[in-house]
Amino acid sequence: MSTTAVLLRNETLKLRKRLAFWVTMGLFAFIKVVSHGEAYLDARNDPEKTFALPAAWSRIMSDESMVSVIFGAVVLILLVSTEFTWRTARQNVIDGLSKTEWFWGKAALLPIVGAIFIFSQILIGGGFALAGTDLAAARSAIVGGPFFQALGGFFLAFFVMGSLAFAVALAIRSSGPAMAAWFAWIGFGERLVVLGLGRLFEGLRPALGYLPFGTSLKLLDYDAFDPAAYQRAVEAAEAAGRAAPEPVAVGTAALVAFGWILLLAAISYLWFRKRDL
Amino acid sequence: MSSDKHLTPDGPIIETAGLTKRFRKTLAVDGISFQVERGQVFGFLGPNGSGKTTTIGMLLGIITPTGGGFRLFGGDSPAEIHAARQRIGATLETPNFYPYLSCRDNLRIAANVKGKGEADIDGVLEIVGLAKRRKTKFKACSLGMKQRLALAATMLGDPELIILDEPANGLDPEGMREIRHIIHDLADRGKTIFLSSHLLWEVERTCTHVAIIQLGQLIRQASVAEITAGTVSVGLRGGDDLSALETLVGEYPGAVSVRVHEDRVIAELEEDDFASLNRFAAGRGIYLSHLAREQRTLEDVFMEVTGATESGFGEVQ
Repeated sequence: MSTTAVLLRNETLKLRKRLAFWVTMGLFAFIKVVSHGEAYLDARNDPEKTFALPAAWSRIMSDESMVSVIFGAVVLILLVSTEFTWRTARQNVIDGLSKTEWFWGKAALLPIVGAIFIFSQILIGGGFALAGTDLAAARSAIVGGPFFQALGGFFLAFFVMGSLAFAVALAIRSSGPAMAAWFAWIGFGERLVVLGLGRLFEGLRPALGYLPFGTSLKLLDYDAFDPAAYQRAVEAAEAAGRAAPEPVAVGTAALVAFGWILLLAAISYLWFRKRDL
Repeated sequence: MSSDKHLTPDGPIIETAGLTKRFRKTLAVDGISFQVERGQVFGFLGPNGSGKTTTIGMLLGIITPTGGGFRLFGGDSPAEIHAARQRIGATLETPNFYPYLSCRDNLRIAANVKGKGEADIDGVLEIVGLAKRRKTKFKACSLGMKQRLALAATMLGDPELIILDEPANGLDPEGMREIRHIIHDLADRGKTIFLSSHLLWEVERTCTHVAIIQLGQLIRQASVAEITAGTVSVGLRGGDDLSALETLVGEYPGAVSVRVHEDRVIAELEEDDFASLNRFAAGRGIYLSHLAREQRTLEDVFMEVTGATESGFGEVQ
C-alpha cells in the first residue's frame, strides 16, 4: 500500500470513529436544516417570497457559507491539535512516518473536511430549495456554470481559512487556545490589522481587503460568480434605497487565495519540520 | 554524519558519536557515544532529567540533534535512517494512543503506519494478554493495559530492534513481572532490546549490557557482569563499637575501602581471603560475629557512579 493510501486510510478511520466530529457535524446539519427549512416554509406560506432553484443558490452559497468555514475550521483544529495533546503525532513518527509524511497526511484533511461541510451545506440547502422548485416551469438549468464557479470559490475560501486553522493548530498544538486564536483573527484581529495599517499607509487600503478573512468573504459571495444574481442584488438595493453592492474582482480574489494557501502551507510545514515532537 | 568520531557502516545496530542536544540554554545530551550490538538486551540508565528520553527521541527522529550523529543498522543518511526505523518497534515515555479508539483500532493505525499490514494484530494482542480486551477503548484501559498495548504496538511487524522507555512505569509487581517475561521472550527470540528504566533491579534481571548517563553525559558502558564485578565486598559485625571496627578494618593491609552502613561495616577487599581478615581482627582483640560476602548490585554501582544517595538521586540539571 502506498504511503498516501496508508495516510488516507488512517485519517478516515480516525475521523469515522471520532465522536467530536459527529457531534460537530450533527450541530452543523441541525443549523442548516433549521435555516433552509425556514426559508422553504416561508416561501410556501408567503407568495411574495421564493426559495427555488437556481435563484436560491445565491442564498444557499453566500450568506451562510461562513458557517461551513467556521465549523470546518473547528473540526480541523480538533483533528490536528489533539495529535499533539495525545502525543500520537510523536508515536506516528516513531512508528515510521517521516515528519513530511505526517504533515501531508494531516494536510489531506483540508479537502476532506472541506468537501464534507461544503457538500452537506449544498445538499441540505439544495434539497429544501429543490422541494420548492417547479421543475417544469424553471426557465434555466437549476445547476449551471455560475454554480460551479461559486463552488470553486467556496472551496478556495474554505482552503484559505482552513490553512489558517491548520497553521494555528500546528503552531499552538492545543485545541482550546488554537480555536481562540483562530476566532480572534476572524473576530477582530484582521479588522485591527486593516484599521492599523490603513491609517499608517493609506496607499495600502485596497490591498488590505485581501487579507485571509477578507479574501474568503469575497469568494463566498455567490452573486460575484452569477451576473444575473448580481443584477438582482443591484435592483433589490436600488429598490430599497441602499447603495448597490460593489462588484467583486473574482479573478484577483482567487489568485490572492492561492497565494495565502501556499504561504500558510509553507509556513506550517517549515515550522512543523523545525520543531521537535 | 556530522561527528567528531568515525562510525563504521558494518558495526552495531545503534551507534552514536558525540550525540548532542541543546534546548536553548540547557544542554540535555552532551556528546554521548555508545554502541548497541545485535542480540543485546541493553539497559539505558540514568536519574530523572539525565537525558535518556531525549537521546532515544533523537534516535527515533522526533527530536533533532544539535550536534554529533548516529547510525541505525549501519546507515546514517536521512533515507537510511528512515528505512532503518521501519525495522524498529518503539515506545517513548507514556503509551501514546488515540483514546477514543479501541485497542485493536489503535494497533491498526500503528500497523498501517509501519506498513506491515494488519495480520499481526491478533497475535501481538494474544502475547500481551489483551486478546479479550481488543474492543476496549484506550481511554477505558488501566495503566497496566496501556503499557501492554504499547508493548504490543512495538512488536507489530516483527521488528529487529525494540526500544522501550520505562515500560514498567506505574505497574504493580505482577504487571512488572509480566512485562519482564515478555521482554525475556523477545530476547529469547533474538530481538535486540534497548530498555530505559529507573528500576535498577529490573534492569539487572533483564539486561545483558548497560550504559549509565548523568547530566547528559555517558559515564559508564559495559556488560552487567562486568559492571557489577570488581573488588570483593564484605559485611562485618563484631564488638559493640562500629567505629572501632571500621578503624580496625581500615588498618587491614588488603582493605581498599571501609565504611559503616546501617548495623555493619562494609569493606572492599583486594582479595577473597576472609580467613586472613578474621585472623587480623582476632589478633587485635575483636572477634567477628558476622562476616559475609556482600553482593554488589547494579544499584550499588549506579549509586557509586552517579553520586546519588539512598534517599534520592541527588541533584540533576
